Amino acid sequence: MRRVRNISNWVCSLFRRNTVDQELSAELGFHIERQIEENRAAGMTEKEARRAALSEFGGVEQVKEGCRDTYRRNYLENLVKDIRYGLRMLQKSPSFTFFAVAVLALGIAANSAIFSIADNVLVRPLPYRDPDRLVMVWEDASAYGFPKDTPAPGNFADWRSRNQVFEDVAAISNASLNLTGSGNPEDLLGKWATANLFSVLGVIPALGRDFLPEDDIPGAPHVAILSQGLWLRRFGGDPQIIGKEISLNYEKYMVIGVMQHGMQFPDRETELWVPSRFTTQQLTNHGNHFLRVIARLKPAISLKTANVNLAAIASELEKENPDSNAKVGAFAVPLREELLGDVRPAILMLVGAVCFVLLIACANVANLLLSRATGRRRELAMRLALGATRGRVIQQMLTESILLSLFAGATGLLLSVWGTKFMATLIPAGLAPMTGTGVDGRVLLFTLVVSASTGILFGIIPASRVSQFQLTFSLKQGGGQSGVGSGGHRLRDGLVVSEVALAIVLLAGAALLIRSLENLYHLDPGFRADHVLVMRTPLPRQKYEAFAPRVAFYDQVLARVESLPGIVAAGYTTWVPLTNTGGATGITIEGKPEPAPGNILIPNTRIVSLHYMKTLRMKLIEGRAIEEGDAAGKLPVALVNQTMAKNYWLEENPIGKQFKVGAYKEKAPWITVIGIVGDVHQAGLDVPARAEMYLPYQQQDFGYEPEYLAVRTAGDPMALAELVRQQIWSVDKEQPVAGVMPLEDLVDDNLASRRMQAALLSGFAALALLLVTLGIYAVLSFAVTQRTQEIGVRVALGAQPRDILRMIFAQGFKLFLTGAAIGLAASLALSRALVHLLFGVSAYDPASFAGVAILLAAVALLACYLPARRAMRVDPLVALRYE
Amino acid sequence: MSKPTDLVQGTLDLLILKTIALEPMHGWAIAQRIRRVSNNVLQVNQGALYPALHRLEQQAWIQSKWGESENHRRAKYYSLTKAGQKYLQAEESNWERLSSAIGLVLKTV
Repeated sequence: MRRVRNISNWVCSLFRRNTVDQELSAELGFHIERQIEENRAAGMTEKEARRAALSEFGGVEQVKEGCRDTYRRNYLENLVKDIRYGLRMLQKSPSFTFFAVAVLALGIAANSAIFSIADNVLVRPLPYRDPDRLVMVWEDASAYGFPKDTPAPGNFADWRSRNQVFEDVAAISNASLNLTGSGNPEDLLGKWATANLFSVLGVIPALGRDFLPEDDIPGAPHVAILSQGLWLRRFGGDPQIIGKEISLNYEKYMVIGVMQHGMQFPDRETELWVPSRFTTQQLTNHGNHFLRVIARLKPAISLKTANVNLAAIASELEKENPDSNAKVGAFAVPLREELLGDVRPAILMLVGAVCFVLLIACANVANLLLSRATGRRRELAMRLALGATRGRVIQQMLTESILLSLFAGATGLLLSVWGTKFMATLIPAGLAPMTGTGVDGRVLLFTLVVSASTGILFGIIPASRVSQFQLTFSLKQGGGQSGVGSGGHRLRDGLVVSEVALAIVLLAGAALLIRSLENLYHLDPGFRADHVLVMRTPLPRQKYEAFAPRVAFYDQVLARVESLPGIVAAGYTTWVPLTNTGGATGITIEGKPEPAPGNILIPNTRIVSLHYMKTLRMKLIEGRAIEEGDAAGKLPVALVNQTMAKNYWLEENPIGKQFKVGAYKEKAPWITVIGIVGDVHQAGLDVPARAEMYLPYQQQDFGYEPEYLAVRTAGDPMALAELVRQQIWSVDKEQPVAGVMPLEDLVDDNLASRRMQAALLSGFAALALLLVTLGIYAVLSFAVTQRTQEIGVRVALGAQPRDILRMIFAQGFKLFLTGAAIGLAASLALSRALVHLLFGVSAYDPASFAGVAILLAAVALLACYLPARRAMRVDPLVALRYE
Repeated sequence: MSKPTDLVQGTLDLLILKTIALEPMHGWAIAQRIRRVSNNVLQVNQGALYPALHRLEQQAWIQSKWGESENHRRAKYYSLTKAGQKYLQAEESNWERLSSAIGLVLKTV
């Protein structure tokens, strides 16, 4: 009831200018005064008269309340009446209703879907205790080309023991765990984690216990904590799982816990966690960088303070370990920012885009309502004449538009359920997965608010127009068609102009994104991804401890696979492109002075087989490829990429030059450069290549093992997957094979987010285009109807069809050009916001803008043509009798 | 709301409409007039009168206007709208039908 009162007060105050209460007091005051006067005239004294009048009147406040009550009841009754009437009106013109609901539903659906994504990604707190206090800590090795490097265990240990700003610091690293035992052998993506990981995050297992410090020392019994997903998928949600043993990498691990649902650190791919069990030796190693470090800030410590502290520790470490830590800094990044990556600008861009779409939809429906209101003029004038207040009429019209928008909201919500699933790719792996339908209370509320405000937004203009029109004028015009004041025209024109402007902005944004995507697809990544099958065969350390059996494994697998029919070439590598941004080793170049600490050269290192370059169709620029003769025991050789050749040897030709892995003083053999290959985009298609070297696996043990098998096929790569797998198993029947996929999928995944952005923005822009076309069409065809008589007169006076055509086109194009000018100016101003999302195209790309303008012009032409044709065919005789 | 009140309310509406049909009148005058004309039988309570006036106004049967009263004060005058006139005619004939019907029943028994 309180709500109703609020609304009714609001309505009263809105339409009756808040004078209701004052007037009421004045009215009742007058009554009492008048009664006092009467009583005095009857002979009472002033005092008696007053008392008698007041007692006769009774409680003034009660009377007032009684009056106010009529407003409330009246409001409710009116509301019910308005809703019924509104429904009837909507029913009476089903095509209008359908069109308006459809237009708005699309707009609202886009908003709801993007909202639920944005809510998930930007707003909703991460599922950890006080997630805002969590930070990731990185090494700053910019001097070596790694501005955000994965920390070495030694640095992690020292940060942990020396800092004054963190409650605690934990570390994780990738674990490839081969699960054997019941069921197929399976390569699980796990994480080695320090025992305090979950306490730093502030989560506890759903089943069993957390890691204890004693689980995390070398030689302790192996334990594991499963993710909810793995527990359900592989162990059928066995409630008795705690204490059971599973076999990982041929060793027994006891399951001590199952994590809560939704707990997915650091990403949703992680299936289980096992203690890192760092040795003292590892914890003093500052040169091997492979950890990810998470820390919880102490209360009242700011990120800035933490970074100051980290920098101080880093410079201490620099002095203590000049070899490894020279020029290596440290810094913290808030966890959310870290997990979010670069999606924020994309999501904000989409939020902007859907707002535009909704605005266009509103303008469109407002336009329709305006035309309808003109048609309903007589009805409204009649109601006003019969005593309805303007407030009442406005209220009734607003009810109608809100009804429309609520229908649209309901439809839109259904559409958005589907849309959200479709858009889930936009959510970074580290953030919450889209669970269920994606529609929850928040999305529901959002949709409701958006629908209602949409209804008010597009309803208020036509409704308020009603209160302006001249009663007598409208009535006199009777059933006439031409009774539209110039004000109506201007409003409708304004709406179309703004629609065109908004659509231009959307189209321009979409054009720029599409061009970026096109640039990326046409970019030469340095390899050919088509017809290549990739898979991972991580060799279990326990089984392949020695170098020789590993080499033998690769040799045999390659020989067998290459002998298969339909196989063009096969090669092993440590990482195929797009699977590892790092994997680098420090080198020393022969004949050059030993670099000062901090200037060490650290090229990416790829350990490859003979035919790897051929398999990926990498380009040999100069020199020769790795050949059969580059066997074990022969002169160690390497290929370098163009960036490495250019950056490390500058003007010199690197072929024939030598370098070694590690420092001068190390006993490692000198490696001779035999050729230069084209740069390969390892880290991402939109990321330029680093210096990179390729070393044959059979010549020496570099510490990195080839893990990826790439196979170039003549036909569909996946068709050969099973055959290739069989060949691997014929070499080692226990060898797990993981990640079997076409290399093209990796390329696609790499662009998935961009593709989704471009697809969505294009979709929204297409929607905008459609709406604008309909908008221009509606306005012009309405104008033609309105001007039928005038056109008739013109034709009667000798105007040619061409003149009429020109007249209508001029009207349409005036709107279009105004809108286009505004829109182009606006998109030039706004496209700066897109800069981060673009690739190889300027935010002011003239071709994109021109293309968009031309496209829209073509569409406007079409929208003008139909009404213009109708105008041309106006028969003057009929037209003159039109009224 | 129970039936008898409805009847009273409907009747009060009718009385108000009829009273101001002659000329625009303010609330006090309406009450006075009804009392006087009914020979003090119908005493209209303020607590019923003013809500009724406001309700009738919202139903657009009557409209109001501020004007100067007979004692030179600002007073709110109510008058019938066109719709109100029609409504009054209809209600009057309804009332007559109803009361004569009741009269017939009372007489015959």
